[in-house]
Amino acid sequence: MSATVPSLLIVDDELHVRESLSRWFLEDGYGVETAASGKDALALLGRRRFDVVITDIKMPGMDGLDLLKRIREVDPKASIILITAYASVNTAVEGLKSGAYDYLVKPFDPEELSRVVEKACEHVRLKEENIALKRRLATAGRELVVGESPRMKRVLELVDSVAPTDTTVMIRGESGTGKELIARMIHAESPRAFGPMVAVNCGALPEGILESELFGHEKGAFTGATGRRKGKLELADGGTLFLDEIGEIPPKVQVELLRALEDKQVVRVGGTQPVPVDFRVICATNRDLEQAVREGTFREDLYYRIAVFRIDLPPLRKRPEDIMPISEHYLKRFSEAMGRRVTGFSREARELMLTYNWPGNIRELVNAVERALVVCEEGEIRPEYLPIRERRGDGSAGQEDDLSLQAMERRHILKVLKRCQFNITHAARLLGIDRVTLYNKMRKYGIERPS
Amino acid sequence: MVRVGTAVPSMLRVLREDLVRTLAHAVWVADRSINPSPAFDPHRQQYNAITLLVMLNDPPPPPDVARIGVTDVDLFLPVFTHVFGEAQLEGTAAVVSCHRLRPQFGGDPLDQAVLRSRLLRETLHELGHVLGLTHCRVSWCAMAPSRLPEEVDLKDAAFCDRCSERIGVPLDGFRSMAVHEREE
Repeated sequence: MSATVPSLLIVDDELHVRESLSRWFLEDGYGVETAASGKDALALLGRRRFDVVITDIKMPGMDGLDLLKRIREVDPKASIILITAYASVNTAVEGLKSGAYDYLVKPFDPEELSRVVEKACEHVRLKEENIALKRRLATAGRELVVGESPRMKRVLELVDSVAPTDTTVMIRGESGTGKELIARMIHAESPRAFGPMVAVNCGALPEGILESELFGHEKGAFTGATGRRKGKLELADGGTLFLDEIGEIPPKVQVELLRALEDKQVVRVGGTQPVPVDFRVICATNRDLEQAVREGTFREDLYYRIAVFRIDLPPLRKRPEDIMPISEHYLKRFSEAMGRRVTGFSREARELMLTYNWPGNIRELVNAVERALVVCEEGEIRPEYLPIRERRGDGSAGQEDDLSLQAMERRHILKVLKRCQFNITHAARLLGIDRVTLYNKMRKYGIERPS
Repeated sequence: MVRVGTAVPSMLRVLREDLVRTLAHAVWVADRSINPSPAFDPHRQQYNAITLLVMLNDPPPPPDVARIGVTDVDLFLPVFTHVFGEAQLEGTAAVVSCHRLRPQFGGDPLDQAVLRSRLLRETLHELGHVLGLTHCRVSWCAMAPSRLPEEVDLKDAAFCDRCSERIGVPLDGFRSMAVHEREE
């Protein structure tokens, strides 16, 4: 809360109510101010903020419900408690729908009065704590992303400039470059930080499931739809929708998504009623969408709808100056967590890390550091502890000396993909698995389509 | 102490003893008693505590004397459904009611000892207000707020060091009393 003492504003046109309540709460140790009308209350709220506003509903001039709406605009953090007479409880319920925290019936039960106000203050405190934690999470995320390289600094500048707006953002970058981290950072630094951040991996789901995942479904919409379910678009209401691997969305879902984004409403699968939604969209992809548009696999209109503000995340190999700072950062973090007394990386290890091209980017680097720490209990991390065998690998070259089943699988998948010119459907058919499984395996092994 | 309405005289005598023991200060029971009818609100079927305070102050008490009305009628303040007692902050009058402090009010069996203990704590609380004290965060202090009779039971019949100091009463008397009570 703004101070250690929670602050209350009591708004009532009746002097004796203002006096009794303010005395009551002053005695309980709250900071209390009073206002005789909605207008006076707004004037006060223009000068300072209050944790809780207790307002009578029935007042001459601006009534409590109007005041409620105005306060929600100026200070969405404040909890508002309505005062009502027995006869007008219905109005109070209206107020709850407009965002009031609770209502109290006159005359007040002292026990209830204290309890409701205490809870309202607690609610505000938790809300503020939530924001503070989200901010910390965002800055923590910043710490993970930050590198010294000019390329990363440029990325962070872009994040700073776009976060406070409602603009749709398209994040481009290879697998493992931290696209979701950047998306979370934008969300946490936006005015929607209060709201949810809902992430959907569009590449991981088959068409039918993706559709109901995004738009929700009504009971009986398809076999197995035993109840109504809200989709991710609805769940993101008031917050941010993060569509990862947007390039993998099948054409039919592309049309529906475009319609939902343009109309700001969704129709659940099997439903007829549109549901209004309000969210900001952040998309991510590791594919060349322009190419996909030219090839006709990605709709041009959807492309222009989502590619409003572009942030390109550089692959790790293009910013080698960041490799060691990131490694040192994670080395410190993991060794603390695992209780290892590891002093750092040996000269040879550094050399290997700096020359390796990290096809899996930061994700691979972080995993390598973690694995090295598992093997190395103390002293320096030597090259043999790092799960990197080849130097200057191009990420697609097989590791012929690695005879593990996983390495075999990776080599085989790559071979088939190359034979099919990276036509996923074709390759999946040859491998005898479905597209989704193939995508998952490609992601697992850091295999990417040549651009 | 002034009897208000039909409060049992023996209850006032017992409360007086408890107060003398706790405060180490002179406490008298007035000969006169007050008829609370003017404070009755027919709509709410309760008695207005503010009106009773005005009546207790008429005529004004001599200097350095505070009047505490003790009653068994149900008290209210216009904005509240009920109060256990009410006091003039830094004034000369307070009123306490045993109506809602009786265990049987909350459906528990009749228990005079519980009522006696609650009445003493509630009287000390209102007296603290008369002496200028506001609510205290020390949970066992008589000045801690209590909204339910059961919350009154959680307090000691004593003020915490800070409250004692502020009203300038002999600390030793309080402390030994508090310790004694808690040991019991």
